[in-house]
Amino acid sequence: MKSIRILLYISIILYMTAVEPALATQAHGAPEGLYAHQFSHLFFIFAMGILIYWLRSRGLVQEPGWRYLQYAGLFFLLWSVDAFCVHLLDEQFQWITVDRMDPWQIRIYAPDSALWLAPVYYLIKLDHLLCVPGMVFLLLGLRRLSRRSEAQRAAEGDGL
Amino acid sequence: MIVPAMPIRIVDMAGSALMILLAFFCMQRVIRLRRSDPDNLVWTYLVWLCCCLAGFAISRSGGHILKQFLFMAGQERLWADIGAAAGSINTFLLIIVAAVTLFFNRVRHVYQQISTDKQALETAHNELLELNQSLEKRVRERTDALVQHEKQMAHADRLASIGQLSSGIAHEINNPLGVIQGYTQLLLRDADEGSQRHSDLQIILKHAGNCKAIVEDLLNFARRSQPEMADIDIHEVIEDALVFIRHRSKMENVRIEKVFADNIPAMRMDEKKIKQVLVNLVMNAGHAVAEDGTITISTRFDTEGRKLMVDVADNGYGIESRHLSRIFDPFFTTKPTGEGTGLGLAVSYGIIKSHGGDIDVKSEPGNGAVFTVTLPVGKTALPGGLQHG
Repeated sequence: MKSIRILLYISIILYMTAVEPALATQAHGAPEGLYAHQFSHLFFIFAMGILIYWLRSRGLVQEPGWRYLQYAGLFFLLWSVDAFCVHLLDEQFQWITVDRMDPWQIRIYAPDSALWLAPVYYLIKLDHLLCVPGMVFLLLGLRRLSRRSEAQRAAEGDGL
Repeated sequence: MIVPAMPIRIVDMAGSALMILLAFFCMQRVIRLRRSDPDNLVWTYLVWLCCCLAGFAISRSGGHILKQFLFMAGQERLWADIGAAAGSINTFLLIIVAAVTLFFNRVRHVYQQISTDKQALETAHNELLELNQSLEKRVRERTDALVQHEKQMAHADRLASIGQLSSGIAHEINNPLGVIQGYTQLLLRDADEGSQRHSDLQIILKHAGNCKAIVEDLLNFARRSQPEMADIDIHEVIEDALVFIRHRSKMENVRIEKVFADNIPAMRMDEKKIKQVLVNLVMNAGHAVAEDGTITISTRFDTEGRKLMVDVADNGYGIESRHLSRIFDPFFTTKPTGEGTGLGLAVSYGIIKSHGGDIDVKSEPGNGAVFTVTLPVGKTALPGGLQHG
């Protein structure tokens, strides 16, 4: 009985230490990068939405500085939705394909059942029209906040 | 669908360049914001947010610009290698920006809590400081008042002892003086006028009279004689005293100013004695200002405490502080020998005390002196002020 047990132990040890390809780590294919990027867009949309909600619910938007930051958050949110849709159409679902005809023209292919997607895709490709205003509002907000903070500091300094 | 490529290309290139430029401006501004108040946790949070956003903007926009250049150069394959790395960085930074944003509410809440606690601590600190200062001030004031009160008590005790002694002596001297005056007058009847004996008796009678006056003053000081109370107008009494002084003393060059309150009620007092006090005080002030000075007599009425105050102020040479505690002692005088008995202020003190009032003096050498007589106004006095022409 004892010898059987010893034999069993030896078998288990040999099985566990046998030279085999490691299975602990998972291989990552190309689509995983796209999924991670799309999730990052969704997370970003959620974070900007929450930021706008907090700014409004705490009444901070009464101050011009925070109000501009709210607008910045809104434009970044819209930009992220825009970018998510572009990735969805041309990379994830591959409903849209684009060919360069020459340096000045491109051809957009859309499924026959949804040809309207072609002009929509063309428009949402202009995503900088959303993220640039977002940055402008961020800059305006920071400028207002820093001016107010400096004025407040100066007033405190005068009061001392 | 065939569409022009230029709008997309222009918006992409210009937008990317703008994103990089704006990211730098944002960084510059947020650093300035933090410098304005380094302790503000919300600004620190904004620095982090802007850093991540700027990193993302530069990575993404830089990638877009590079992509356009590589495509124009026909290096699409090279972009395929670089694009994967750039995309990964974009994903990474986008997640960080979103994660940092989710901490905004917590950071703001913590900062508000810290600010509130700081404010409360500062308020408590200031209140404690104020209380401490107030306490120190009150202790100092009470100590000063106590010292002053003790001095006044000691002074009053001393004057009371002197008064008791003076009263005893005056009383004992008063009777023999009366006998001397009586017998001298009897002897004068028998003496021939113009004779040596008559003039000697006259001298005895005169000096006995002087002695009698001193004894009466001492009795006034000791408050042995009861005041004869009557309703009087203090301003009339002051005017009478001034008329008396103008006739009896050489104070032609001394300016006398009167500042009378118009709400003084009629009062019950001994007119003669109050007049005597006023005469004493004004005469003393006259001596202090010499020939060219100003004496101000003012009256005030404390309606709450129902007290009348009469101030006799002069702009003379004042009283030395070492003399202030003895100023109301009988026979104390700073005048040369023969010019004053030193009983004027002592008698005034006695009279005012016998009226239930008080007399006080404030003086600094070189700045004149102010004697303040405080007299209680009885409830039976007529309401309203007296009319003065």
